[in-house]
Amino acid sequence: MQVKYVNPFLNASVRLFRDHLGLRVESGKPFLLQDPQALYEVSGIIGLAGETRGAVVLSFGRETAIRIVSRFAGQEFVALGNEVLDGVGELINIIAGNAKQDLLEFRIQISLPGVITGNSYKIHWPEGVPVVCIPFSCEFGPFSVNVSLKDIA
Amino acid sequence: MKILVIDDSAVMRRIHRNILKERGIADQDIIDAEDGQVALEIAAKNTIGLFLVDWNMPRLDGLDFVHRVRAMESYAKTPIIMITSEAARYNVVEAIQAGVTNYVVKPIKGEALIEKIGKYLDA
Repeated sequence: MQVKYVNPFLNASVRLFRDHLGLRVESGKPFLLQDPQALYEVSGIIGLAGETRGAVVLSFGRETAIRIVSRFAGQEFVALGNEVLDGVGELINIIAGNAKQDLLEFRIQISLPGVITGNSYKIHWPEGVPVVCIPFSCEFGPFSVNVSLKDIA
Repeated sequence: MKILVIDDSAVMRRIHRNILKERGIADQDIIDAEDGQVALEIAAKNTIGLFLVDWNMPRLDGLDFVHRVRAMESYAKTPIIMITSEAARYNVVEAIQAGVTNYVVKPIKGEALIEKIGKYLDA
């Protein structure tokens, strides 16, 4: 997976969390996720299809998810209920959809988002394609955007 | 004027409703639909003056909704604003060709959205 495929997701995330939500977001250096299941407790996932295939996962700790979705929705949530999960799905939808404008090599369709929670879930990443983790930190806690995208043949 | 807000995300529907209410639109003039199919049924039973429609939705997505609602004689010229995360140029072209009046990429601040759709609210 080429590094140039990671930047669109990094840029879309920064635009969303820093520019739109006004969070003090810092991104760390992207790295290859050795354990593709090493994610936080709440993850939003979107599948990518079309001229390539892959997946992108936005992963938060529980409290971070609640606080970031509260900021996004303009409403204070106190628990990980349906609306917070819905909000996590919308956030990953925005990241994936916005990243498409910089992925000029191919036409991509994005799936509807899914959101999973728990301490031992398993993501079915595309087989044989590495997962790159972009770590972020902000005043509401750490989170990550994880990308797996097959190179053009 | 009735405004139909079509988005599968309850959070997004609430955000749009709040933006419209802040602009002075009465709560009862804002109708919600969670997908294009529900929206078509609402459109057939009401007179909608403005559609705000997401793209990626289950059952009937925003693009198919636009095709279908544009085929209804009463909505041939009604403003349809697509509000979506789909930011690729080819998506914008496809939506315009389907008949959307204006295309807005999420995320968007309330004031920016009102700036985009204000002229339709005042029409």
